[in-house]
Amino acid sequence: MRRALLALLLAAASLTACSADEPFRILAGSEVADLEPLLKESGLDVEFTYTGTLDGAEQVARGDAGDYDATWFSSNRYLSLIDGARERLSTQTKIMNSPVVLGLKPAKAAELGWDGKPVTWSDIATAAAAHRFTFGMTNPASSNSGFSALVGVAAALSDAGEALDAGTIASVTPRMKEFFSAQRLTAGSSGWLAEAYTARPDVDGLVNYESVLLGMRDDLTLVYPSDGVVSADYPLTLLASSSRREQYDTLVAWLRTPETQRKIMTATHRRPIVPGVAPAPEFGSAALVELPFPNRRSAADQLIAAYLNDVRVPARAMYVLDTSGSMEGDRIESLRAALVTLTGADTSAYGTFSRFRNREQVALRPFSDHPKGQQDYEIPTSNPESVLAQIKSYAESLSADGGTAIYDALRAAYEQKVDSGRYSSIVLMTDGENTDGTEYLDFQLYYQALPAEQKAVRTFVVLFGDSDADEMNQVAKLTGGAVFDARNGSLAEAFKEIRGYQ
Amino acid sequence: MRRRLLGVALAVLLTGGVVAALVLGNLGSGVTVVRGVIGSEKKPFFDDPQVKAAFAKHGLQVEVDTAGSREIAGSVDLSTYSFAFPSSAPAAEKIKKERGVAATFAPFFSPMAVATFEPIVATLTQAGVVSGTTFDIKKYLEIVDKGTRWDALPGSAYKARKRVLLTTTDIRTSNSAAMYLALTSYVANGDDVVTGADTQVAERVAPLFLDQGYSESTSEAPFEDYLAMGMGKTPMIMVYEAQYAARLFANDGTIGPQMRLLYPSPTVLSKHTLVPFDENANKVGRLLTDDPEFARLAARHGFRTADPGVFAGLAKGTPLTRDLVDVVEPPTYDHLEQLVALIEERYL
Repeated sequence: MRRALLALLLAAASLTACSADEPFRILAGSEVADLEPLLKESGLDVEFTYTGTLDGAEQVARGDAGDYDATWFSSNRYLSLIDGARERLSTQTKIMNSPVVLGLKPAKAAELGWDGKPVTWSDIATAAAAHRFTFGMTNPASSNSGFSALVGVAAALSDAGEALDAGTIASVTPRMKEFFSAQRLTAGSSGWLAEAYTARPDVDGLVNYESVLLGMRDDLTLVYPSDGVVSADYPLTLLASSSRREQYDTLVAWLRTPETQRKIMTATHRRPIVPGVAPAPEFGSAALVELPFPNRRSAADQLIAAYLNDVRVPARAMYVLDTSGSMEGDRIESLRAALVTLTGADTSAYGTFSRFRNREQVALRPFSDHPKGQQDYEIPTSNPESVLAQIKSYAESLSADGGTAIYDALRAAYEQKVDSGRYSSIVLMTDGENTDGTEYLDFQLYYQALPAEQKAVRTFVVLFGDSDADEMNQVAKLTGGAVFDARNGSLAEAFKEIRGYQ
Repeated sequence: MRRRLLGVALAVLLTGGVVAALVLGNLGSGVTVVRGVIGSEKKPFFDDPQVKAAFAKHGLQVEVDTAGSREIAGSVDLSTYSFAFPSSAPAAEKIKKERGVAATFAPFFSPMAVATFEPIVATLTQAGVVSGTTFDIKKYLEIVDKGTRWDALPGSAYKARKRVLLTTTDIRTSNSAAMYLALTSYVANGDDVVTGADTQVAERVAPLFLDQGYSESTSEAPFEDYLAMGMGKTPMIMVYEAQYAARLFANDGTIGPQMRLLYPSPTVLSKHTLVPFDENANKVGRLLTDDPEFARLAARHGFRTADPGVFAGLAKGTPLTRDLVDVVEPPTYDHLEQLVALIEERYL
């Protein structure tokens, strides 16, 4: 009897929002991380977990977001295109707005004559093709700002008045190639891109959210293309599986008070969404035309694929991989699996976009106390399957033995000639401390003496097993890379995430 | 996760009494909680403190979730709700039939309207689409057929390369888009209500939706864009008259001096219809329909009610029209559904 009563009460508790002590859990894009401090003022206990836009969208669509009450990405547009995703969502409420635009160093904007008169994406593409400026942008498969920019550029350059479809995307690809030939910097997240940009004086500007551009330390001249933009509208979205409607309503109501809207505007440079809250002068007075966004999943996916396979500056991805004796067993198995994931084995959209792309060069450099092989592949412009299969079979043949000479191996990777027509980067994966060969300090001196073009090659470090986290952080910092921690997670996930930076 | 469950269990033990009361749909203080799923355009009404207070006077606390009306009639699990309150009579009719409900309530209605801006009105007047405050659907369809862009219209102040298209919600989920389909299909069908899966009509009206690109699933979101972001994003949008009227009556400054409301010719009425699943919901329905206090509050939210005087009193001195002319009936739910399905196919 008592047990039955308890069961009834438990069932009731899970239906009604009884767990008032529990935080309100939000699965969010990293783009809204800057709002976390402000939300402390809401009086609600809100807990954020961050994920990539596409990855998060698929998680929700699959029904794997049951631990969360709400999502908060910069846009729900891609998510809504996935079959079955809409049913997972309950109420959506837009909180703020930020268009994706081009920010340029003021001198460059003046030189191009873009600091006062209307400029179109077509003008921008023409200047890019003529090598008159360079820019950075996030990877459209990893980050919403990159995806929005891609949609905007494609829609504007296509000269079509309606939403993009397969035919339009194919015909606009050559023009997009011109535009993106000027891209010198890519990233998996908008925040990291902004940081990386400040260390690269040779890059003239960024395509990013207006909010990020206005928040940069050094002033940028913002170019609002007169033929249109794509904006993020940051819908806070209650998940249909959540029982926390009341907290959601409270949070949304608080976020949309004129006072909070003004605070958001001041603190994060995003435009208020609530009618009647006057936008700050920093947003300028140009009327922004919003470009149509694709309404078919196939068109969105085709656009991303076209960017990765045909349009972008092709990548050269070097993998410096620890296959020393300590990798024996599960670890080497994880490494094999992680590489195989990138050859097309993962068929989710996120996984598909993470695979090695057409035209990409992939260099695998396994090492122990000595280099254990040099495998170089180039994925052809079409029919990539056979080369991907070669990479897969090589990855599956990796074996673990010997000591660990990290810096000898990393140095060997930096010795490679840099191809200026490619976007080169290094992934360093190691599961332990350096036991053989040169030390970190030797590498540091070596790196600092490198010519600029080789120095521009970033090293993205994957922590795994018993990595020396401090030293690995130094490597990432020295080379302008970043650290990805797979010690408590999956190596494959880390490898996929890094794809956004390659 | 385990820690979370333990916390829940503790909370339950501590507040067992309250929970038991909640299970019975009662807060213990004589207030009955009634949960409903509604079209988003009625959310501000149910959120209004005065509406809440009016319900409280009758011992009711009405809690609502929002969803597109087509979702309410289709995919939403209605078992956790006491009532559904979609924005159209056809959707309500479908729910009524499926759930075997005896009687429904239609406490308020609103005609479909076009919210736009003065420069757009000027341009469309020159193009023959607008005359006075009337938006001619037949002329508009001719412009859409030709794929005309804003920057190609003579004297256009809106120099966008975008197609001349009314912004709507997603036809696959939302009622306001379905109402728009009702009135455009009427014209495309030679001024007659569509009575089946007419592929010719579907072909003519499909671009009205598909060529816009992505559209939102609820009518509040794009209307907010219209108000906050202005002409650049949303030069003209299909709305419920109530959405615009509520802002006008509130006099909160959100309807700017350049904003205009036009009435499509023909238009259709969105008859907000409450489908009750239990006695508490019947009580809500009766109050909304019969109680003058609720009629007054509904009118302030822009809805027209059974007594035309309430709305007309508020509308005096505004651009809102008192008398609606050229109103056509929407197709039946099944016929509208068949037409939507023909358009939906084209999204794949």
